[in-house]
Amino acid sequence: MRGLAMVALALLFISAILSVHWPHQGQDSNPPTNEEVARSLFGQGGSSGFALIMFLIGLLLLVALLGGVFLAKEEEKK
Amino acid sequence: MITIEYWLILSSLLLAIGAYGVLTRKNAIVVLMSIEIMLNAANINLVAFSSFHVTLHGTRDPSGMVFALFSIAIAAAEVAVGLAILLSVYRRYKTIDVDKINILRW
Repeated sequence: MRGLAMVALALLFISAILSVHWPHQGQDSNPPTNEEVARSLFGQGGSSGFALIMFLIGLLLLVALLGGVFLAKEEEKK
Repeated sequence: MITIEYWLILSSLLLAIGAYGVLTRKNAIVVLMSIEIMLNAANINLVAFSSFHVTLHGTRDPSGMVFALFSIAIAAAEVAVGLAILLSVYRRYKTIDVDKINILRW
């Protein structure tokens, strides 16, 4: 039953995608370079880009790592 | 030439496969893996729309790739916490069957 529901969901998505008229030129033949991605990430000129978000995600990763270690070692104390 | 529809269809299929795994599997690790598949489906969408930005809007914009990087980082944090919780649950209940772990009381 759940499998059928997921097949129906996939078919719904596919039919929605195919019902839209997309441009057919294909993807960019010159994909963005690392420099362009870095400029978008950290900003250029006066804009800060996503540097603050990058900092917050680094903090989140640190907290997740510490939380994971804390949870995993919790039992050893007892 | 691969057009954007193919990437979107691949992403939809991955999302459906991930949702199927979340809804049907009982092993919590497999459920976590299915959630990761769903996150990767979203990443494929982000990168696909970023790659086709020139075609769709006439300008290049790698912001989608940046968002995919953020998504990958958040997925890593989620897996770290999820696996630690599963380890803790296994020590407490001796199982990671999601049907048997039906109380949140410790």
